Amino acid sequence: MFGRTLFLILMFVAGLAAVGWAVYGSRLPPADFSFTNETEVATVDPALATGQPEMRIITSLFEGLGRQSPKDTHFAAGAAEKWEISDDGRVYTFQLRKNARWSNGEPVTAHDFEYSIRRLLDPLTFSRYAYEGWYLVNGKKYTVASELATGDRVEVELNQEPGVANTVRGKLLLGKLVHKESSGTKSNSSAEKGGDDEPKQDIFVVDVAGKEGRFKVAEATDSVPKNVERCRQVLLDFREVGVKVIDDYTLELRITNPTPYFLDLLAYYPFAPVNRTCVEKYGSPDWIKPKNIVTNGPFRMVARRLRDRVRLARSDTYWDRSNVKLNVVDALSVDDRTTAFNLYMTGMVDWDTVPPAEVLRELLKEPRNDLNPAPQLTTYYFLLNTTRPPLDDKRVRQALSMAMDREEITRVATGAGEIPAYSLVPPSMPGYHKQECKPFDPAAARKLLADAGFPEGQGFPRIEILYNTDQAHQAIAELIRKQWQNNLGITATLRNEEWGSYQDSIQQLKFTVARRAWVGDYMDPNTYADMFVTGGENNNTGFANAEYDKLISDAAKELDQTKRMQLLEKSERMLMDEQPIIPVYFYVSRNMVRPWVRGFYNTLQDVHPIRDIWIDRSVKNDDPRPNEYMEPVK
Amino acid sequence: MSQPEDLSITLSTAAEQSASGVSLGRDAWRRLRRNRMAMLCLGTLITIGVLAVFTPLLPLAPPDKHHTNLQYEPPKFSPLFEKTFDFDWKEVEESQNRIAELRQKLDSADKGDANKIKMEMENILLRPYRDAGYPTVGAVSRWMIRARSHVFGDINLTSLAGRDEFGRDLLSRVFWGARISIVVGIVATLVSLLIGVTYGAVSGYVGGWLDEVMMRFVDILYSIPFIFVVIFIITVLSDEKIKSRLQDMGIDRITIFYFVVGAIYWLTMARVVRGQVISLRTEPFIESAKALGASQSRIIALHILPNLLSVVIVYLTLTIPRVMLFEAFLSFLGLGVEPPDVSWGLLANEGIKVITPIKIYWWLIVYPSAALGVTLYALNFLGDGLRDALDPKLASRRS
Amino acid sequence: MTWFFVRRLLGLVVTLWVVFTVSFLLMFAVPGGPYSAERNLPPEIEANFKHRYRLDLPWYEQYAFDLSRDLTGDLGMSSRLQDYSVNQVIKEGLPVSASLGILALFFAIVLGLSAGIVSALYRGSFADFTLMSLATIGIAVPSFVVAGLAIMLFVFVIPIFPAAGWGTLRQLVLPSICLGLAYAAEIARITRTGMLDALSQDYVRTAKAKGLSELMVALRHALPTALLPVVSYLGPAVAGILTGSVVIEKIFAIPGLGWHFVQAALQRDLTLAMGLVLLYTVLLYTMNFIVDLSYGILDPRVELK
Repeated sequence: MFGRTLFLILMFVAGLAAVGWAVYGSRLPPADFSFTNETEVATVDPALATGQPEMRIITSLFEGLGRQSPKDTHFAAGAAEKWEISDDGRVYTFQLRKNARWSNGEPVTAHDFEYSIRRLLDPLTFSRYAYEGWYLVNGKKYTVASELATGDRVEVELNQEPGVANTVRGKLLLGKLVHKESSGTKSNSSAEKGGDDEPKQDIFVVDVAGKEGRFKVAEATDSVPKNVERCRQVLLDFREVGVKVIDDYTLELRITNPTPYFLDLLAYYPFAPVNRTCVEKYGSPDWIKPKNIVTNGPFRMVARRLRDRVRLARSDTYWDRSNVKLNVVDALSVDDRTTAFNLYMTGMVDWDTVPPAEVLRELLKEPRNDLNPAPQLTTYYFLLNTTRPPLDDKRVRQALSMAMDREEITRVATGAGEIPAYSLVPPSMPGYHKQECKPFDPAAARKLLADAGFPEGQGFPRIEILYNTDQAHQAIAELIRKQWQNNLGITATLRNEEWGSYQDSIQQLKFTVARRAWVGDYMDPNTYADMFVTGGENNNTGFANAEYDKLISDAAKELDQTKRMQLLEKSERMLMDEQPIIPVYFYVSRNMVRPWVRGFYNTLQDVHPIRDIWIDRSVKNDDPRPNEYMEPVK
Repeated sequence: MSQPEDLSITLSTAAEQSASGVSLGRDAWRRLRRNRMAMLCLGTLITIGVLAVFTPLLPLAPPDKHHTNLQYEPPKFSPLFEKTFDFDWKEVEESQNRIAELRQKLDSADKGDANKIKMEMENILLRPYRDAGYPTVGAVSRWMIRARSHVFGDINLTSLAGRDEFGRDLLSRVFWGARISIVVGIVATLVSLLIGVTYGAVSGYVGGWLDEVMMRFVDILYSIPFIFVVIFIITVLSDEKIKSRLQDMGIDRITIFYFVVGAIYWLTMARVVRGQVISLRTEPFIESAKALGASQSRIIALHILPNLLSVVIVYLTLTIPRVMLFEAFLSFLGLGVEPPDVSWGLLANEGIKVITPIKIYWWLIVYPSAALGVTLYALNFLGDGLRDALDPKLASRRS
Repeated sequence: MTWFFVRRLLGLVVTLWVVFTVSFLLMFAVPGGPYSAERNLPPEIEANFKHRYRLDLPWYEQYAFDLSRDLTGDLGMSSRLQDYSVNQVIKEGLPVSASLGILALFFAIVLGLSAGIVSALYRGSFADFTLMSLATIGIAVPSFVVAGLAIMLFVFVIPIFPAAGWGTLRQLVLPSICLGLAYAAEIARITRTGMLDALSQDYVRTAKAKGLSELMVALRHALPTALLPVVSYLGPAVAGILTGSVVIEKIFAIPGLGWHFVQAALQRDLTLAMGLVLLYTVLLYTMNFIVDLSYGILDPRVELK
C-alpha cells in the first residue's frame, strides 16, 4: 500500500518537476518591442529566404550596400557610403564605409559582397532568388551551367576536401571549355525514377593551363569512365561575372541592361552580405544558429526558438548604432490570425501584421489611432492555366474575368477597404498609366462563353479553384465560385493546400485556376510585367507570347523613361486582353500599430524596417496625437 | 492525439459479461427502457435522424444561397416565412428533355465521349438545384426538393438562426450539415466494424499461430500515429490529378474519409471481438452445438455472431461520436468536407473563426456547436446506458 | 524480470523497423517531392537539390541510406524548415508539448477521477449527471470550439489568463485545461465503470460488512482496482498527449510538436514526418512498458514475465 502511494506521488512530482524545468528553461526577459511575424520563418539565410516574415528578420540582421528607407522603401545608404552610376547606366561603383563592422569584429569589405553575390548565384546554394543576380553581366550563365559554350572561360570546382563544412568550396581549376561531351547513358537513378527532365550527365573537356582535362560531376564514391576526373561542378569563371573588387572598400557592379530600379533591387535582402569566416566555419545551416551567426546589421540574433520567436538585440558593432533605438525586439511566430489579434488586443505585442478581415471590417467603423489602411503595391489575382482546355481559349478567360464581381468581393470578403483591381499593375506607379481589362458584365461574359462553344455554360467542364489554406482566400474563392455559377452557369470546386504544397502545384501548373498575390519587389511596373515572359519564374500560367517577350526585353534595354513606360503599358494592355490572369483587388495596409510606436510609416511595399522604429514611452494607448503611421497618406 | 484504443477498456467489460443467454436482447431492452436518461437520448437521436433524412422536405431556405447584402444578419423571427430564393420549374422540365437527347447520344458514343456526356447529363440534371442554392444532391433528395416546392412553393422559414459571412441561412445549413455529419459518423464506423469484426472473429476463432501473427500485426499498427496517417493519405489523394480522377469516379474527400477512418478504427474492434470469440469458443453452448454435429459456418452464424451483437452496438454508439469529432478536427485543418457541402464540424469551425474580442456573431458558433454537442452527448449517454443494460452483473446489483 | 526487459526491447526494435519500413514505402509512393519554392528552381538547382536530399537514388538505396542514418540517431534534415534538423525540431518541441501534456493530464486526472468516483457512488443522482455531463463536454464539443470560447471568457470577459504564447506557467493553464477536457471525459467514464465493477466485488462487500464507511471503502478498496483500466488507458494517451495537439497549439500559439506532426503530413516534409512517427512509436512503446511496470506495482496479483 505504501509502495503504491509512493509510486503515484513520485510520478506526480516528477511530472510537475519536468513542467517546471521546461518552463523555467524558456523564460526570457520582456522585449522593448514585439510583433507578430505571421508563420514560422523558413530560414534567415539571405540567399535562401523568400517571403515577408523572413524579410523582416533578415533586414534587421544584415545590411546590404543599401537598405530600404523607412518612408518610401527606396535605396538609402547602407554598407556603401557613396556610389556612382556610369552614364550608360551599366556600371555601378560603390564606396563602402570604413567603419562598418561584422559582429565578430571584422571589417565589412568589398570582398564580402563579392563572396555573397557569388554565393547567391552558385547553383549549390539552392537560392530561389538567384535570378535577382542575373541582372549582372553573365549572372545567369554562372548559375545555369547548361548555357556554357565552347571557348568560355570556366572554373572547375573539384570535390571538397574531406571533413570541411559543406559551404567550403573545393579546389578551383581555371581554364577554357574545349567542348562538352554527352556521356550518352543517363545515370541509374533517372532511369529508375523514369524522370526525363533530369539533365544529362555531361563530361566537360576543359583546357587548364594548356593541358586538357576531362571532368564529370560526380562524388568520390561514384564511378566514372576512364580518363575522367571527378568534380563538384563546372561553372563559368566568376571573373566573367559583372562583380569586381577594385580595392577593399570599392566594389564595381556591371549589369547587362541599364536598369533604372537596379539600386532598389540592391537594397533587397538577397544581396545582403554574409560573413565568409562564419559561413565556412560552421557550414549550412549551422552558421545561422544564434550562437554561431555573424551579422553586420543593426541587430544581432540572440535567440531563435522554433515556432515561438526570434529575439533580436541591438548590435554593438553596427556603424550607426547610436541611431538604433530599440534594445530588444521579439518577432513572434503566430500562425493563427485570430490568435495574433488577441495578442495585440491584450497588449502583448505592439504591432499586428495581418489582423483577420472580419475584425478589420468592424474596427474601421469607428476612427482609430492604430489602423490606417492605405494603398499598397500588391495585387491579388487569379492565375488561369492557359495550357488546359477550355482555358486555352482567350474568350473563356475573358468571360471568367467579366463574370467576376470584384466589388462584391472587396465588400464581403476583404474588410479593410481594398480596391477592386482591373489591372495587374497597381495605380501608384509614377509615370505609368495602368491598362485595364473589361469590367464586370455578366451578359457580355455569357455571350463570350457561348461564342467559345459553351452556351449557358453547357458542356463546360468542372473547374477547380486552388488557394493556400487561409480563411480570407477561402472566402474569396467561395464568392467567385458562386459568381461564376450564377453568371455563367459553370461549376467550380475549391481546393486548398498548405503554402508549400500550393507552391508546388502552381509551379508545376497542377491547377486550373489559382489565387496569387504579388508584392512589387521595387517601384517599377516591370516587377509585374516581367513575370509573364515565356517560361518566367513567376509566370505560372503557361502564357507564352513572343510579342510580349519582345516588349519586355525592349523595355529593359530602353534608356528613355517615357518610351520605356509606353512599352510596359503596351505589354500590360496585351496581358489584360489575353487574360492569363484575372486581377481581383489591390491591397491596402492592414497593420495595427500602437500609438507609442514611432518611426513606422505606411509604405507601398509594406516594408517597415525595425532599425528605424522607436518607442515613445510618454504616449498612452488612447493618445489622440497621430504617430507617423497614422498620418494621412497622399 | 487520441488513439482509437481508448475504447477497448470500456468495451471489454461489456463484452466479457454479455456472453450469455439468448433472451439477452429482450432483457437488455427492458433494462434500457427503465433508464430514463438513455431513453431520452434515444428519442433525441431518432428525432435528429428523422429531421436530417427529411431535411429537403422542410420549408427551409437552400443552404448554399448567397445573400451577401445580408452578411452576418442576426437571428430574426418576423415575418416567420419569406421568399428568399427561386426554384426554376421550367428548367427542371427542360433538363428532362435535354437529358433524353443526351441519352440517345450516349448509346452511339465511344468510351471517351461517353464519360463527357455522362458528366454533362449530371450537370444538366443538377443545374436547377444548384441555381436555387442547393449543394450536390442525390435522386431521393431531388425528389424531396421537388415535393417541398409543390407544397410550400418558394416560401421558406426566415433566418431564425441568423446568417453567415455570405448571408447564407444558418438554420438551413445546420440541418443540411446534419445529413453529412451523421452519415460520416455512421458509414466510417460501419466500415471499421466490418473490418474489425471479420478480422477479430477469424483471429479468435482460428487461434494458434495465425491468431498470434494477426494480433502482433494489430499491435504494430497501433504504434503508428493515426492522425498523421489520415492527414497524409487525404493530402496525397487531394493531389490534383488523383483527385480529379477520383471525382470522375464519384469519390470525393468525404468518401475517402469514410474508408481511411474506417480502416483505422477497426483495430480496437478487432481486439475486442477476438477476446469475445475466444471466450465464446469454450462456452458450454458452443461445445454442445459442436457435439450435436453443427457445421463451422452454422456455429459462427448462429451462435457466435449474435453474441457479438451487444459489443457491436455499444461500440457503435461510442465510436460514432469520435468519428464525428475527428471530422470536425479535419475541418479545422481545412481538410474536411468541401463547399458547397456542409457539416457541423465545418460550421463550428466557420463559427469560431468569427468569434473575436471585437465582435461576437454568437449564433454562428452556438447553433452548430449545440447541434453537434447534443448529438454527441446523446450518443455517449446512450452508449453508457446500453452498456449498463447489456451488463447483467451491474444491473442485478442495482435491482 | 530481465527476460521481461529483453523481450520488450526486442519488441521495440522490431516494431520500429516495421513502422519505419511501412512509413517509408507509404511516403515513397507519394507523387511530388518535398522540394518547392515560391520561385521556380532552375533545373540545375533542382538536380542539385535532389542530390542533396538523395531523391535521385533508387528506392532501395534511399531506404538503406535513411535506415542506416536513422539507426545512428540522426533523423536527417527537415526539408521545409530549412534551418533545422529533425533532431533539433524534436529537441525544441518535445519539452513544450510534454509540459503542456503533463499539466493537461493533471487536470484530466483530477477532474476525470472525481467525476468517475462520485458518479459511481451516487449512480443516477443529479451529481452523477452533472459531473458526467461536464466531463463529456470534452468528447461532445470540438476542442477548437472549447478553446475559442475559453479564450473569450477567461481572456477578455474575465481577464485572468494571457491570450496565448509560451514562457510562463500562467500561459499554460488555459491551454492545458482545454486539452485536458477531452481526456477527462475518457478517464471519468473508465473510472466510473471500473468503480461500479469493483464495488460489486466480494472483497469490497466484505469491507463494507466490516462497518467501514462507504467513502473509505470506495477509496481504500475499490479505487485501486478501478484504477487499473485507467492506467492502461493512460499509457497510449500519454504518448499521444506528449507528441502534442495541433488544435491547442495553433489557437494558443504554443511551439509544441503537434503542429509539426500535421504540417509534416500536409506539406510532405518526409524526413520530419518519419522522425516524428518514429518518436511516437518509441514513446508509445515506452508508455506501454511503464503501464505494465506500474501494473506490477499497483496490483500485487500481477507478475511481470
